Amino acid sequence: MKKLLVMLVALGLAATARAADKKYVIGMSQCNLGEPWRVQMNADVKRAAEKHPNIEVIYKDAQNDTLKQVSQIREFIASKVDLLIVSPKEAVPLTPPVSEAYKAGIPVIVLDRKVTGSDFTEFIGADNKKIGRHLGQWVVKTLGGKGNVVELKGLMTSTPGQDRDSGFREGIKGSDIKIVFEADMKWLEPNARKEMESALATNPHIDLVYGHNDPGAHGAYLAAKAAGREGEMKFVGIDGLPQEGQAYVRQGILSASFEYPTGGDVAIEKALEVLSGKQIPKEIVLDSRVFTKDNVDSGGEWLK
Amino acid sequence: MRETLETQHEAELAEVERRRDGLKPLLNFLQRPWVRALAPLVLVLIIGVVFNAHRAFYAWGTHRDMLRQVSVYGILACGLTLVIITGGIDLSVGSLLGFTAVLFAQVSIHQAWPALPAVLVVLVAGSACGLVSGELISRFRMQPFIATLAMMVFARGLAKTISGGEKVSQAVLLPDGSPKYLDLPRVFSVIDSKVLGGHLAVVSIIFFACVAVCWVLLGKLRWGRYLYATGGNEDSARLSGIPIHRVKLLAYGLSGLMAAVAGICQAVQEQQGDPEAGNGYELTAIAIVVMGGTSLNGGRGGMLFTLLGAAIIGYLEKILSINAVPEAFRLMLTGGIVVAAVLFQKVRK
Repeated sequence: MKKLLVMLVALGLAATARAADKKYVIGMSQCNLGEPWRVQMNADVKRAAEKHPNIEVIYKDAQNDTLKQVSQIREFIASKVDLLIVSPKEAVPLTPPVSEAYKAGIPVIVLDRKVTGSDFTEFIGADNKKIGRHLGQWVVKTLGGKGNVVELKGLMTSTPGQDRDSGFREGIKGSDIKIVFEADMKWLEPNARKEMESALATNPHIDLVYGHNDPGAHGAYLAAKAAGREGEMKFVGIDGLPQEGQAYVRQGILSASFEYPTGGDVAIEKALEVLSGKQIPKEIVLDSRVFTKDNVDSGGEWLK
Repeated sequence: MRETLETQHEAELAEVERRRDGLKPLLNFLQRPWVRALAPLVLVLIIGVVFNAHRAFYAWGTHRDMLRQVSVYGILACGLTLVIITGGIDLSVGSLLGFTAVLFAQVSIHQAWPALPAVLVVLVAGSACGLVSGELISRFRMQPFIATLAMMVFARGLAKTISGGEKVSQAVLLPDGSPKYLDLPRVFSVIDSKVLGGHLAVVSIIFFACVAVCWVLLGKLRWGRYLYATGGNEDSARLSGIPIHRVKLLAYGLSGLMAAVAGICQAVQEQQGDPEAGNGYELTAIAIVVMGGTSLNGGRGGMLFTLLGAAIIGYLEKILSINAVPEAFRLMLTGGIVVAAVLFQKVRK
């Protein structure tokens, strides 16, 4: 009993001691934690934030609902957080609440997807088109300028899907790479496996499969393996998450995975700069890496 | 003059009559229940023959893959058939699939349990969820739609909770961020393999087994007749002494069990447990049941109809896929062909 009392007192003292420093509260509004990539974004924010005892991050998940995210941002404004990190679901409907926060004097860092106008402190995001172009050039180089490629696309009504497609096509322009089969697998692995089975049924020879995300490329691999044809072709994907793309590359399933960085760690770094009164640029385009069997253990290779 | 007209008219009538008599055998043929049930499948197969994607439609591999792809939906549809025959609906099967897939991946990949206990625990968990729905519906008189909608949301949350929101796979991140790889249990490669010289996927055999079990229940056992009686007219079924409460528990419990079987099949095919797996699958499964000819009003239908429905939906998807039809057209064509097929099924005199 005595021990418990001592412990409680010690805890209380520790708490008051910590409260003595200036502590910042950061609100993190995530649009959807149903996607592994966004789970990773929150994990990156968390890992970076843990290194700084003077910040506390409060997380809210809008569960892929635009209106829910709007009200969650307003809740953050009402509770007067010191800084807001928003990864919006869509640009237009989320512009007003972000702007309200900014005008109320709360610095706002917008992550991954943009909002319209300029009422925010900084936008941090990666460039899907550029990554697609790099991937296309890598394919041209790896296949020696010609070959049959299957493209399993992400949801084609989404901007990332469109950019990963158009960037790739820019990258392979002028080569003899032929896209022999393309289908929309809507980012989902089971769909990718289905579509790949059709690609295998209609194409006697395939040199490479490009999945707009790593799970898609992995689904294609499983289909090719079931058909006994996985040795015939290479598999490439985008995202490069540690448990997905990087893991598949290590296991020899994917030849390469192109990182689509979450920017979660950069956001915390920039948040600290803003909170300490520094000026930061309005926009940062994140660099991304390519992971291949040779470099995955040393952290990948940066794309120029 | 008038007489001639009348005779002419009579002659015309007789001619029409004669023609109709000539058509009668054909109409009678089209009226037969099994012809009406098979007609949409034939229609879809004709589309496949016409659009055979450079003869890919004629390769057995295409049909084998179709059977594999539709199996998970088909297994869900087996359980749903029982529920729909009692006049109910089970919207939770897709979420239960996600929950059981995650659970199976967790116990067998992460905890490295042997196959048998892992499978058993997952089947029990699925059945338990189904029984909860059944209890809510029969004891607490909740609408099946509401009770299973609640279970659908709850089970999705459960899947996300036990998985921590991430896919449960061989790759595990250690606290310091470095990855570790676990072995894929043998049960995964066994269920996701092919038999008969590579001509049939094991998951398809599991699907056929589920159809067989439900067929025996519905067609041969007393409890099967109870299911029909409950769906046909619940009040008279109760008056004639049928234990409605237990009949419903049986239907929803088996639906949960089937969802767990489907969850295991999904997990082995993806080599992971995805908490988002099965999102929207309940709609495809309901479509399979209804396309076959089982009535959503309850009391009428059967397992062979569901098998047929699975073949129709499976072939439709496969044909659109081998022809690489763009997504937007695919959706429109699927809607159109489903309507055409059902209308075809309803040919009447």
